[in-house]
Amino acid sequence: MTGLPSNGKAVTIKKMFSRETVISIDIEAEKSIIWALLTNASDYPRWNSTVISIHGAITKGRKIQLKSTLDPKRIFKLSVKEFEADNKLVWGGAMGKRIYTLKSIGSRLTNFSMNEKIGGPIFPLFSTMIPSFDKSFEQFASDLKKEAEIISNTKEPVIV
Amino acid sequence: MTIEQLTNEFEQARPQLKSYILRITASIEDTEDIVQDTFIKASEKINSFRGDSSVKTWIFTIASNLAKDNLRAQKRWTENVTDICKAKALSNPDYFTEVMQIQHTSPHGQFEIKEHITFCVTCISKSLPLEQQICILLKEVYEFKVSEITQILNSTEAMIKYYLHTSRAKMINIFDGRCALINKEGICHQCSELNGIFNPKQNFEIEKNKIEMVRVDKKGDKAHLLDLRLQLLKEINPFNSHGSDMHLFHLEHNRKVMENHSEISEE
Repeated sequence: MTGLPSNGKAVTIKKMFSRETVISIDIEAEKSIIWALLTNASDYPRWNSTVISIHGAITKGRKIQLKSTLDPKRIFKLSVKEFEADNKLVWGGAMGKRIYTLKSIGSRLTNFSMNEKIGGPIFPLFSTMIPSFDKSFEQFASDLKKEAEIISNTKEPVIV
Repeated sequence: MTIEQLTNEFEQARPQLKSYILRITASIEDTEDIVQDTFIKASEKINSFRGDSSVKTWIFTIASNLAKDNLRAQKRWTENVTDICKAKALSNPDYFTEVMQIQHTSPHGQFEIKEHITFCVTCISKSLPLEQQICILLKEVYEFKVSEITQILNSTEAMIKYYLHTSRAKMINIFDGRCALINKEGICHQCSELNGIFNPKQNFEIEKNKIEMVRVDKKGDKAHLLDLRLQLLKEINPFNSHGSDMHLFHLEHNRKVMENHSEISEE
């Protein structure tokens, strides 16, 4: 999916054997701050209201266990498939993968995009049971933007 | 820079450097070694000092790298460190005898609530990732600028901001959930418990209300409460405080407990 507006609105394309949700948003922060937020597993629940917990290290080849507000009773066991510092992170399981991409578009301006594609030969059998990702994606992007911009705009703390 | 200038700068920085390394390592012996090794290394590299930073920043950079090497293989402590160490102390019959002996024989064996708060911050900060602990100490206790911390940690300003922000958020959250001094529903009452054991003549309620952190509690500014805790760390050096012997004994105790606790966790 290309040419997606960076407006923080999710777009989903449904096909017979797959479903793909994407979102893009511009964030006024350095890539490294956003990357640090995306790759620090234990810190997610603090800033990301769509994540209940992530256990494990988010680094190439490692497995993580994700609990999301989308389905709080399930633990998603995922592996980190790509880990290109400050640029691209991919994790996924048997049915799909999620791709995070960061692009510098200014000195302290970064475009963040997130894409998740799920599917396979038996996808039509359970596709109706999988909730829409749209709201969760929009919340994720909004939380990430808010947290990264707070950090990036931090002034030297004033000590009393 | 001459060796005399270095020695002079080093001696000026030594008290802060020692308390900084102690707060990172929680080990008196490692602190002494690292501070000594820092001076040796600085002396050896004196010709490579170009004045790109202050001498103090350069000294803290060397010391931080040595401390990081020292801690690389060690697990970080857990947020409930004080619960774990309390349980261990209660199950050790020698523990209270040793503390009482310090109290009765040492001129620096007093128990003070203020000092215990700094001890508690040190222990809780060891549950942060090491870079985050180093950042919050350097910035808010030892008053280094962000630009200086980027040099000390060889990192970017963005990452230092991230470490600072995250470490503060975590510390605020931990204390809010645990500390009964600032939250009636807090689960940790060790200040009052220890005060009752080690300084029963001191009225806990009166003493605690002398501490600004407790007085401002009602305003509910949690970030400010953390600042006030960190302010106490600036004021109290565990190596020369009123209760330094007590403080150091407890820190050593907790380190030993947590080292064994880490080993058990790894099995």
